[in-house]
Amino acid sequence: MIRWILFIFLVLYIVVPMLMPVIFSFSVFWQDILPQGFTLRWYEAILTRPANYEALMVSLIVASSAVLLNILIAVPAAYALNRMGSKWGQRLREGAMILPLVFPPLVVGTALLQAFARPPLALTGTLWMVIIAHTILGFPFMFRIVLAAFQTIDERTLSEAAASLGANLWQRMRYVLIPNVLPGILSGALLVFAISMGEFEVTSMVAGFTAQTLPLRLFQQIRNDMRVASAITAFLIYVSFLSFILMSYLGTRMRRLRAV
Amino acid sequence: MPDTVTVVRKPAARWEVWRLTVFLRMEVLLLLPFLVFIGLFEIYPLVNMAIRSLFDQNGVFTIQNYVNVFTESRFRVAIRNSLLFASAASLVGGIGGTFVAALAVRLPPRWRNFLLSLYALPMTLSGLVVAFAFIVLLGRNGVLNLIVRRIFDLPPTVYFNLYDWPGIVMVYAFFQIPLMTLSMAAVFENLDPSLIEAARNLGARPWQVWRYVVIPVLLPGFLAGMSIQFAGMMGAFGTVLALVGMAKNLLSLQIYSHASESTYNLPQAGALAIVLITITATALALLSWGARRLARRGT
Repeated sequence: MIRWILFIFLVLYIVVPMLMPVIFSFSVFWQDILPQGFTLRWYEAILTRPANYEALMVSLIVASSAVLLNILIAVPAAYALNRMGSKWGQRLREGAMILPLVFPPLVVGTALLQAFARPPLALTGTLWMVIIAHTILGFPFMFRIVLAAFQTIDERTLSEAAASLGANLWQRMRYVLIPNVLPGILSGALLVFAISMGEFEVTSMVAGFTAQTLPLRLFQQIRNDMRVASAITAFLIYVSFLSFILMSYLGTRMRRLRAV
Repeated sequence: MPDTVTVVRKPAARWEVWRLTVFLRMEVLLLLPFLVFIGLFEIYPLVNMAIRSLFDQNGVFTIQNYVNVFTESRFRVAIRNSLLFASAASLVGGIGGTFVAALAVRLPPRWRNFLLSLYALPMTLSGLVVAFAFIVLLGRNGVLNLIVRRIFDLPPTVYFNLYDWPGIVMVYAFFQIPLMTLSMAAVFENLDPSLIEAARNLGARPWQVWRYVVIPVLLPGFLAGMSIQFAGMMGAFGTVLALVGMAKNLLSLQIYSHASESTYNLPQAGALAIVLITITATALALLSWGARRLARRGT
């Protein structure tokens, strides 16, 4: 019995704070204990006010680019490092995990800001810099999930089995490896996308006025207009929530694949 | 006849060696995008930052930036605050998360998976989202404050202060507890119940079971989780900035303000960042050393 009361309490601990911005965003005003009225005006403000709309577009572009870059970088790296059996492979695998702990977004932001401030690579303040920063932040998440996918399907044994049946590298990739790790790659993509959509810390350091993302806009709106801020906050919660639902769907599919 | 035995070199062996080198080369090739990207956009900027922190803004070599860190009171206070804040938030997260994980593994699988999925959610949430949520919930005129005031008929001067250290730690707990829950859930699942049973059958008392069986198994995972917590909290600043602006003095906020705000001084920000990395790396090394020692003693 106590177990279930605690369980409900723990569920509420996450759900209640997350519901606050959502309720706020649908209400006309909320000064007293209960919110009043129902409106979609604050969501409209995201789409109709040019600054908000632009920020939304910038965020979508940045998040999609960070996902694509991470697929190009992290998936081959996870494949290669999974195959490296030596001490070096082990060290690189561990290094890729510890790197983000020792170098938090704050430090990466400071370093990026300084390194690319002038030609030949004057990227600071541009959209490129934001994309690069988000790719770096997303990398460990993508890498960890894809590496785990390669490990659980026992990639080596599968590849060897396919090779012994006469499959060449391309065929092994196309019919054996990619279909097996695809749920992992998609999960990683969703995670990187959600993190990038909400990222504030690095973005606020490296983005100039040309690359205002949605969270940067939210930061200004928390001071200026709580209503619009509530709609942006709620939108970011929906993004996280949706990607997690998709991820757990992919997770159950992966488990089912493994069981077969 | 034994003297006619000769080593026959299989033709396949050479083929194997050749295939292995090709494979190795292919692996290096696949690593290339990662190595180039991390090298250019993470390692190079960090090395560059470390070097530049040794020069003043006119490009003259100096260690003044580091001297400042340890002599100027605002930096010393910032370091002290950061250490205290990161320790407090990690402890709250560490203990809270361990508790949630301990409960989660006792639930039927369906509900356990539900709880763990729910606790994975904050990982991707923006620090600003959480700051906003807590302002609505617990700000000066937040819903919870209003309810408590209404029930006990208190004046509006009475409220839970979200904008002081306990409030800030509480908001960060919303990230830290779920993070710890996820790492500890894996550790608890590895705790073999038959070990505990065996200890009980051998006549161990409850405290002995904890002392000699449960804690040695859990502690390495707990310490690993704590290092993630501490490292994360040392670098965190987004939520504090949204809650109190620059009103609180943290090392992370000092770096942020020297890198991108009015007190713009990049070499100084670099020196502060190097100090932050050193503190984090030392804490990580200590925790992993402790975990390894315990792991050796535990078995």
